[in-house]
Amino acid sequence: MMSKMKNEETKSEAVQTRGGRKTHHLRTFALTMIIAWGLGTFAFIYFYPHLMYNAFEKGIVQHGLGGGPIPVNTLYAVPNLASPSASSNLLKTGTNQDTLYIGGWLDLSKGPQVLHVPDMAGRYYSVQFTDPSDGTDFAYVGKRTTGTQAGNYLITGPGWKGTVLQGMKQISSPNNSVLVLGRVFVESDSDLPTAYGLAKQIQLTPLSGSIQ
Amino acid sequence: MFKRTTIADIVQGIIVGAVLAFITANLLINAEVNAMQTTINGWSITLQCGVPGNDILLRAACAKDIPAANLPEEAVYWTTTVDGAGHALNGQHDYILHFPPGGLPPNDAFWSLTMIDANRLLVTNSIDRYSVGDRSGLVSNADGSIDIYIQNTAPTGHESNWLPAPSGDFMLWLRAYQPGAAILSGEYHVPPVVEVK
Repeated sequence: MMSKMKNEETKSEAVQTRGGRKTHHLRTFALTMIIAWGLGTFAFIYFYPHLMYNAFEKGIVQHGLGGGPIPVNTLYAVPNLASPSASSNLLKTGTNQDTLYIGGWLDLSKGPQVLHVPDMAGRYYSVQFTDPSDGTDFAYVGKRTTGTQAGNYLITGPGWKGTVLQGMKQISSPNNSVLVLGRVFVESDSDLPTAYGLAKQIQLTPLSGSIQ
Repeated sequence: MFKRTTIADIVQGIIVGAVLAFITANLLINAEVNAMQTTINGWSITLQCGVPGNDILLRAACAKDIPAANLPEEAVYWTTTVDGAGHALNGQHDYILHFPPGGLPPNDAFWSLTMIDANRLLVTNSIDRYSVGDRSGLVSNADGSIDIYIQNTAPTGHESNWLPAPSGDFMLWLRAYQPGAAILSGEYHVPPVVEVK
């Protein structure tokens, strides 16, 4: 009798342990899942702009805007307005019919770049500087913000310390990587060559190259 | 017999959690894309993108909806895929966009109305016209109002105000560069696109 009871006790202990182990596994799984869910959701949203702008960087640096790859720290002006037969995917969707586009990607980690703008003679234009980590347009050069006279703008990366040469205006970038997007107004078909001639003159040089 | 290990619990937890995170994040971003738009007369606009100090969800929604867009002070965009009655825009129907006298989008640079198809591509047409605007030679009515004819075939007698549509679904994109204060404050409303019976 005694031995039978002891036997039963041992059995029920074993069952309890197995059940406890199951609960333990479930708890570990659930806890990990909830943490991964929460952190993952935050991370995906946080890095989403970065993912999108990575595609822009690839598009610009590897494929270009119809004229072949655009090397880092150079600008390329698209010679025509957008059309259904445009060769660049970036310029096929969601583009305007009012301006020529200029595109480029900056890497300021090896030093500042200088943006040269010719006299635009009252013409509407803008050069937009976008931080690819969050999509903020942190600076503009153009008719609205700086006017249409010729100018040189020093674009510096985070933490850059140096003297801004006389006659240059500094644009401080929060990121060493920068998306540069320019737009130059086109009045009409007959105005296109003039607009393109000006757009081509909006150019970048490294800071050292511009010291006279 | 299969034996559960703690490592397996954790790996499975991470995999399931990551899948749920991907789905949740996309739902949240899509909801924010809708929430950040103001829609009046079928035209949707957002004035929040590109601006410094946006929270992470708004940044993500902007990157998804209009990546590399201008600051609102530089340019604003309205889009619509529906007429004033809420029906999908489609080239099987003819439409008029009527701007009352003085009712064009106020701006210090220029404005334009661009046609794109369901794949967001410009629409091939017989007169190579993809947009109309302040430079396209729009003819005003006697009272100073302007009618833009949005249809697949040329409107007889109104060719100068014709914005060619594809035969299927389409989308309109209205831009104003250096928009006026009434746009930035939300006071200005684009009139509805009206189907012509």
